[in-house]
Amino acid sequence: MNYRKIAAGGAVLALAGLMLTGTPAHAKAPAAACAGSNQVKETLPNGTTWQLCWRMQPQAGLVLEKVAVSYKRYPQQLLVLDSIRLAQLNVPYDSGETEYNDITDYGFGGGFLETLTGDDCKGGSARTGSDGAATPRRRKILCVSAEPSGLAYRSHDWDAQGREKVYNKLGHDLVLRSISKVGWYEYVTEYRLHDDGQISARLGATGDLSPGDYVNSSRGWPIGKNARDYASMHYHSAFWRVDFNIDGKNKDKVEQYDTKPDGRGPATAKLKTTKTDIAKEGSFNRANRRWWRVVSDTSKNTDGHKRSYELSVGADDKYEGHPETTPDVTFTQSHACEKYASGNADPQCATKKTIIDFAKDKETLKDPVMWVRVGFHHVPRDEDQSPMPLHWQGFDLTPRDATNMNPLTPDGRTSQNGQPR
Amino acid sequence: MQRRRRWAWGLGIATASALTAFGVASWQANAAPNPAPSTAAAADAPRVSDPQPGPEAAAGTGADPLTTDEVGKARAAALTPELARKSTDVTGAAGPEYLSIELAEEGDARTADVYFYDYKTDKLVKQVVDLRTGKVAGSYSAAGMQLPASDREVQTALDLLMADPLAAELKSAYQQATGKTLAGKDGLTVTAHVFKARPADAATKQCGKHRCLQLVVQSKDGTFIDANDLVIDLSGRTVARLK
Repeated sequence: MNYRKIAAGGAVLALAGLMLTGTPAHAKAPAAACAGSNQVKETLPNGTTWQLCWRMQPQAGLVLEKVAVSYKRYPQQLLVLDSIRLAQLNVPYDSGETEYNDITDYGFGGGFLETLTGDDCKGGSARTGSDGAATPRRRKILCVSAEPSGLAYRSHDWDAQGREKVYNKLGHDLVLRSISKVGWYEYVTEYRLHDDGQISARLGATGDLSPGDYVNSSRGWPIGKNARDYASMHYHSAFWRVDFNIDGKNKDKVEQYDTKPDGRGPATAKLKTTKTDIAKEGSFNRANRRWWRVVSDTSKNTDGHKRSYELSVGADDKYEGHPETTPDVTFTQSHACEKYASGNADPQCATKKTIIDFAKDKETLKDPVMWVRVGFHHVPRDEDQSPMPLHWQGFDLTPRDATNMNPLTPDGRTSQNGQPR
Repeated sequence: MQRRRRWAWGLGIATASALTAFGVASWQANAAPNPAPSTAAAADAPRVSDPQPGPEAAAGTGADPLTTDEVGKARAAALTPELARKSTDVTGAAGPEYLSIELAEEGDARTADVYFYDYKTDKLVKQVVDLRTGKVAGSYSAAGMQLPASDREVQTALDLLMADPLAAELKSAYQQATGKTLAGKDGLTVTAHVFKARPADAATKQCGKHRCLQLVVQSKDGTFIDANDLVIDLSGRTVARLK
């Protein structure tokens, strides 16, 4: 109770301080990163604005570049990513007979990119742009929409007079989506830019199961009548290439955090968290409570904490079929011709074919690129016919100390920064 | 059942506003019969801007995709007289096979990477064109490197297959899948992916060094025709069976 009364009084001071430091008037407008038709700039209902450039690459499909965010409470625009895009999609069948590389052997752009139609972009804005084909065509290929994301926060509070109040707010995502048809599969490339600064990258798969890949019962699942047609189990093992540039400073570093048991306290186990700097190129694997972040060495929030984004991977099936598909995340120094996690085919760097090649020389990370692998081992089910319900795989990039508080903090909570005193 | 739910839905709205009821009911008639969304949520539905696309600019700025003009200029510049003279395309004619073009991912200057395949030397060729000067700023080639197939390569592969005795297998697969006789390639929709030989592939072991394709074939009504065992070697102009 005591804390809250003091907090309520402090709010006015904190707000005054914010008004002095956070005004956009002195924010220098950056040079245009792209023309209007390839820019997306949208403000979500809670006042968060995302701005970015988009285009289609023949192989990678949708590429987002210069992804920046600003908030009602933090109006100075913060650049987060130089670029994000898919970097491979391995589709091996459990029979061992077939493996498709849908990004490097087909591609998600050009003729494989679908023109949006019908419900593809219902409620959103279907944007026209070049499809990235060898002879490019301008078509409706990017869906931009704003979608509710559920409850953003909820908390009880009491004002100076002791009156109870509930703070709660519906959150929203700015959603960017394109669709590519490769064979019988139709893939959705999706980026969700949340109003709290989080970025979610997802790949969805629909269309139909392979018409030709039917196997025995240990490698498939019966999907027709009785136990006759065993549709082959298979992987969708995807890579994304993420190039951070936090606050546009080009001073990003990589850190790994591990939390391990450390004896017992009076009540329960003690845990201890340690940081490992990842200064050189390399591949890394998940472990219980392990996480990575890309942190600016120079850009700090108003609490004096270095701004960073943390990698959060959820459901994932690791595909051990190749050395390059085995690690969970690989960090490499940025090089223009290191474009795809495998099947990289650039005569300018002919020996660099996979992320294993990229990382082999353990170069110092001055401009780190993060290669995130997320796999989905698909065991077909009766419901996959037909069309197949979308199944999703992906990861989140969560802001860690990008702002000094929750960017959606309501006015009454602006003083709640640090231990209540 | 479905009709009654729609009716109930429309009535509920009508008590609030007859005008809204008309709009929502007609929307509902077009939409899949989802569980009725709450009207409050519909009213709060966030909006994004919906800009009209203007005419395409002659040249892009920054991270813009390559414009039609830029693609034309870059392709012309990339096809240097020397490259045109020394290489051959998928049909065997002089000049390299044009594969793809993309904006170079890094650097401030707008640069296009133009990719060709030279069937004479079986090399992938990358020509880097500075879009400001219109000049080739870098030229690279390497063997054993394959990018996705161009439309003309896919059609050439289909032609090679149709002219080969193994076309009988495609025709048989077509008959089996559709119950009809394949009249000719016009009855097919074809995409393809690059095929690289795996250790056990004896009949196609040159694929990877050679440019080879596997076809994904559909009849005009969308039925997939299994042609997965047939590999077309565009460099050697041969067709082989995997198993």
